[in-house]
Amino acid sequence: MSVSVLSHSVAAGRLLRARRRRNIILTLVLLLACGFAVTLMLGQSFTPPGDVLRVLLGQEVQGASFTIGQLRLPRAVMSILVGMSFGLGGVAFQIMLRNPLASPDIIGVSSGASAAAVFGIVVLSLDGAAVSVFAVLAGLAVAILVYGLSFKNGVAGTRLILVGIGVSAMIDSFIAYILSRAASWDLQEAMRWLTGSLNSVQLSQALPLLVSLMLFGGVLLSRGRDLDALRMGDDTAAALGIRVGMTRILVIVTAVGMIAVATAAAGPIAFVAFLSGPLAARMVGPNGSILLPAALVGAALVLIGDYIGQFALPSRYPVGVVTGALGAPYLIYLIVRVNRAGGSL
Amino acid sequence: MTRSHSLVAERLSAGYADNTVLNDLDLAVQPERITAIVGANGCGKSTLLRCMSRLIAPSRGQVLLDGRSVHHRPTRELARTLGLLPQSPIAPEGITVADLVSRGRHPHHGLISRWSKADDAAIAAALDATHTGELADRVVDELSGGQRQRVWIAMALAQETDLLLLDEPTTFLDVSHQIDVLDLLTDLNRARGMTIVMVLHDLNLAARYADRLIAMAAGRLHAQGSPEEVLTEANLEAVFGLKSRVIPDPVSGRPMMLPIGRHRAA
Repeated sequence: MSVSVLSHSVAAGRLLRARRRRNIILTLVLLLACGFAVTLMLGQSFTPPGDVLRVLLGQEVQGASFTIGQLRLPRAVMSILVGMSFGLGGVAFQIMLRNPLASPDIIGVSSGASAAAVFGIVVLSLDGAAVSVFAVLAGLAVAILVYGLSFKNGVAGTRLILVGIGVSAMIDSFIAYILSRAASWDLQEAMRWLTGSLNSVQLSQALPLLVSLMLFGGVLLSRGRDLDALRMGDDTAAALGIRVGMTRILVIVTAVGMIAVATAAAGPIAFVAFLSGPLAARMVGPNGSILLPAALVGAALVLIGDYIGQFALPSRYPVGVVTGALGAPYLIYLIVRVNRAGGSL
Repeated sequence: MTRSHSLVAERLSAGYADNTVLNDLDLAVQPERITAIVGANGCGKSTLLRCMSRLIAPSRGQVLLDGRSVHHRPTRELARTLGLLPQSPIAPEGITVADLVSRGRHPHHGLISRWSKADDAAIAAALDATHTGELADRVVDELSGGQRQRVWIAMALAQETDLLLLDEPTTFLDVSHQIDVLDLLTDLNRARGMTIVMVLHDLNLAARYADRLIAMAAGRLHAQGSPEEVLTEANLEAVFGLKSRVIPDPVSGRPMMLPIGRHRAA
């Protein structure tokens, strides 16, 4: 093959990969749009699309305005925003640490944010943005703590994961303790802060999520190529002109930011951060960056998981129970595989 | 064609924690030549290479590329002149050869710059030079060790640097693939005047392929010069503590060392 022929085939291959990736993203967006429409139309009762549209346009529709405007719409919107935040934050950690187990919900970051949120609400009587800020700070503190505790001539993925699992267990017991001391203790609240739930979310909670997605998500996506290069090892990335330490800090801050803000709104919805990246990777294959696809997969997981929890099971379960049931087998599979591969993964 | 660059280490010291690995080392890399760094395990040869490619910061002294410290210039700009192939790069799961090689273009792109024809041409040239063109659409995980190493070299070539540093590029390869890789590096040096610096374990291959040898011992430069000057029985004794015979190798005429050992010696 001559170099010019090769050059054409290189270009053709690149365009083909880009097109495949775009098609996968479009499919995911379409799936989300369908899911969004279905959750608005079909709940305990059916609302015709025309009525849904009228409610969305701000008109008063007898019997539908409350159901859709106050119940279904906030839930669907929050599902998507929270799911995107978890998906994007999770995959960023997994890529950065080159290990699917290194997701923020496994290594304690989500638990930390959740503990801060429940502490802020129950003990300090904070609300709104203050809870989010508090959760972000706590999430960062846990990330730094786990990172620091597992630091020994650099950070090894497996050590970080084990330390993180320990820290996570500790924080979960702290959450249980706070909840048991709270005056308004009830099972719904406990579920929210331990496994995540979208019960009684409101549309006003969407604003901090939207801001965090635009800010943190935007920065993360714009640095996607640098992050992706870390997959080849720190040395290779540095040799390609990437400031490895700087990229790490950027990823940690933005990913923790998104995870924590989402957690402050809906609790640490189990395994969404953990599952989205690997699922997106399966779909995208060798066709390019999985950051955006993982965000979309996360949104789909929460949207569909919440719908199943509400309507498809004998009684109503919070979304975290459903995603937890999905994620646990995959976690077991991964751990078994790591064991077989001698922990290299 | 490449431009000639000067790469110089001045009074370089470096180490991990409280353990000094490099000790006050001075070195000038000969431009447009192949240099091999040899020495016993733990003598600091990898550390020297990593220091020269700004992967680790020296505790004292400096590394100058064309008179400017490699640790103080923008890393992306440096990556357009100085390439490095580390000892164990990781191929992302499921990545294709062409995609991996295209990662070498990273330093040529800004935050939002678009992919260009020049990028495709550079990748094609790198695939061609390393004879990996027919592997372009294969998944890297499925390749043999020798093929994989050629693909990594292709990635470093797509970076289009005038200098290339390699940390033990032949380790884990069987002997025919070792020769293959070293022949390839020699082609690149002869055809483009690429300056190559590599850490090598095999002394005979180092003497065969390098224009210049650097022998290190205990974080210091023990000897440097042509293979004939460096690969001597006295140096081998000093650097490796090994008794040996050195004879001209019948294929190339370069020095070749034969270890003596305690058994089977004449």
